Amino acid sequence: MNRVRILLSTAALAVAVGVWLAFTSPVDSLQGEYSRIVHLHAPVMWVAFLAFGVTALASVMWLIRRSPRWDRIGEASAETGVIFTAVGLFTGMVWGQAVWGQAWDWGDARLASTAVMFFVYLGYLALRRATPDPESRARRSAILGVVAVVQVPLVYFSVYMFRTLHQTPSIRPDGATMPDEMLVALLVNFAAITYLFVALLAARLEVARAEDEAAVAPGLAGDSVKPPRLSEIEDV
Amino acid sequence: MSDELVVVGTFVISYGAMFGYAAYLHLRRRRVKG
Repeated sequence: MNRVRILLSTAALAVAVGVWLAFTSPVDSLQGEYSRIVHLHAPVMWVAFLAFGVTALASVMWLIRRSPRWDRIGEASAETGVIFTAVGLFTGMVWGQAVWGQAWDWGDARLASTAVMFFVYLGYLALRRATPDPESRARRSAILGVVAVVQVPLVYFSVYMFRTLHQTPSIRPDGATMPDEMLVALLVNFAAITYLFVALLAARLEVARAEDEAAVAPGLAGDSVKPPRLSEIEDV
Repeated sequence: MSDELVVVGTFVISYGAMFGYAAYLHLRRRRVKG
């Protein structure tokens, strides 16, 4: 069993423990069953922020070192981050529909800024597909990867800067706004979903490495053999 | 639809997307490696 399979299998086990805790921990007295979504929504959005942070860091490293390895890490992390942001938006909409009575509100700063962040990173992936030259692709996406990360603090602090439907974080420096049993379940889910991100990032990097190797390797046996030029066979 | 069913469905769809992505990466790697 290779490293990626071990990572994904153990991540599946960690997630299973997280889900079990999510469905056995106490629920909020007002939100009822819907409060269980916090065990999924908050960790996936944290991972999305982490993923875009990794993309920015890898982009900076590519601009310094110009190594394809950093370009691959930036791309892999952005793609994984987009998946997690999509899940975060979906879970937030289900939760919002139940608790606020509406799934979406463009007037809400947290919701709108998260949607903009999602589309900017989709644009990052589209930019990579639209640029065939590897050097130009790496340079353009590294610049966008560094610029786009400013959205992460904007999304996070939007609940403090504007009046929003979205609540402020439940885990704060002065303590948590939930009982210990719920908090433990939430922290386990944070750890499990972060570990799942690491496993998915490793799997995506493995694909990127394999694709890069296939791009430089000759496609068919004999591809590297050049036919003789006419000038070379004239004397025969 | 009951609240429990909506919450369970939300978890199933969300983890389905994340592990579905893992399955897609596995197939993509197999196609490249042959």
